[in-house]
Amino acid sequence: MSANLHDVKNTIWMRSVVIGGGLLAIGALAYIVMAVVIGSSYHHIWDEAVVNYDQVITDGYHTGDAEYDEAKDAKTEAHLSYLTWTTAGKTILIMTGVYAAFYMLAGFFNSIQPEPGHDNYGDGHEEHHGSASPILMAMGLFFFMYGFSGFVNSCKAMLGLDVSADFTGFIISLVGVTILILGIGNWWREDLSGYQEQIAYGKPFGGQDIRKAGMWIFLMSEIMVFATFFSSYLRMRTGWCTEWAKSAGRCDTVDVTTASDLLRHDIGTLMPGTINTFALIISSYTIVLALKTAKDSDWEPSKNKLLKSLFPTRQLAVRNYLIITLMLGSLFIVLKLIEWSHLVAEGFDIGTQAGSIFYIATGAHGLHVFIGLVVMLFLIFKADTVGYSKENKNWMGIEYFGLYWHFVDLAWVAIFPAFYLY
Amino acid sequence: MGHEKIMGKDIYFWNFLVLILFTFVEVAAVFFGGSIDLKIVWTILIGVGIIKAYGIAAFFMHLKGDPVVYTMTALFPISFVVLMLWGIGLSNPDSILGLPAWCSPNWDYAYVTN
Repeated sequence: MSANLHDVKNTIWMRSVVIGGGLLAIGALAYIVMAVVIGSSYHHIWDEAVVNYDQVITDGYHTGDAEYDEAKDAKTEAHLSYLTWTTAGKTILIMTGVYAAFYMLAGFFNSIQPEPGHDNYGDGHEEHHGSASPILMAMGLFFFMYGFSGFVNSCKAMLGLDVSADFTGFIISLVGVTILILGIGNWWREDLSGYQEQIAYGKPFGGQDIRKAGMWIFLMSEIMVFATFFSSYLRMRTGWCTEWAKSAGRCDTVDVTTASDLLRHDIGTLMPGTINTFALIISSYTIVLALKTAKDSDWEPSKNKLLKSLFPTRQLAVRNYLIITLMLGSLFIVLKLIEWSHLVAEGFDIGTQAGSIFYIATGAHGLHVFIGLVVMLFLIFKADTVGYSKENKNWMGIEYFGLYWHFVDLAWVAIFPAFYLY
Repeated sequence: MGHEKIMGKDIYFWNFLVLILFTFVEVAAVFFGGSIDLKIVWTILIGVGIIKAYGIAAFFMHLKGDPVVYTMTALFPISFVVLMLWGIGLSNPDSILGLPAWCSPNWDYAYVTN
């Protein structure tokens, strides 16, 4: 298992189907338990709270009366509890569905690898000749985004909303997604078969691994993306009369409620963001441990029984560290969506200035986390099949992905205080 | 860098502990922010943010130990970030009047006061 792809049997394809099925089963189970069973019981409690609230109003109580406040708090709490469980169940179902699809796709592309001894490039040697994947993926993204507005409107129309469908845009977007998937698939196929690391020449990266230099330049552009969010947020924020501005004596009447006004005063509302902060930091550490283990030729299992059962061999240790990272990243997405559902329920939606910058900035960050999770699935697949090791000289994949993942953590270091606490 | 040991543990472990510790400080500063001076809260948040960013970039992203060209690459956009935060972030006419002169882009806000 620990040589190159030519040693990987096509039974791996079936293994990936089974694991994909397992992921779907986990998602379905989570949905049934959280969204259906627990969610419906909380919906029942919520219904009762609404009836009680209406009765209190009918009895003539209003704001300021203990009965009214108590009934209103009970209604809100029941609604938020219902949202917590249903959002968690639905999010886990969708995420495991995506995970299963990508894992099975990885298995499929693995199964169509050339047989041992086959010349990959038709010219008698195995040297890497560059990849078509970047241009394919860029083309796919272009078509997807070109038709995106029509795609969204068509989806809304199909859901029965009062929007006219634009099927031309819908089809262009689907073509884009297809090209994108083909590009991703081709990239996985090439990477699984063993990538010959290319060395950059010329200044300033001469002598460095070309993919590492490319990753850092990509991260440089990502810093700019997040800088636009922060600068636009700061521009709007400094003009609002918020709780903070009022307490600093800069204005008299609060005219804008920010997400942080709704989140930071109570340990319960601050908890999802706080847990997410710790989840990302821990996941940064686990990806470092995966890389460290992959690079360590002298790795030995721990003497601790629990750790030994979790990380019995080097290959399984790398895979399991990556799985832990995936689980922590998934937790981040689930908690973020639960938090969003609560904020929307409290009236803080994307229709306001404060809402739009909050959801766009934190949503862009969440999207980065999600894309990272999908790439991590491929790393897990590779760790499970080909394996990462110093001997295979393929551990760099974890290092370069780790750079991206640490950047996502780094962005959160700024987003968390700026959008959740300030 | 990863081979250096402190009390039997590698630098990644200690960096992780430091990051966790400062995250507790960060959350506590905001949660108890109502009873602390606003400037102190901000000083804590910015200080903790810088320390955490350094810990992640220097140790987890291996900038400390990698060739200096990567550090330069990471720092390259910082000048643009500063420019954007200054030129866009602090350019709100309503806010700029209350800012100290040294952080004002010095644009003409006459129409605001008029």
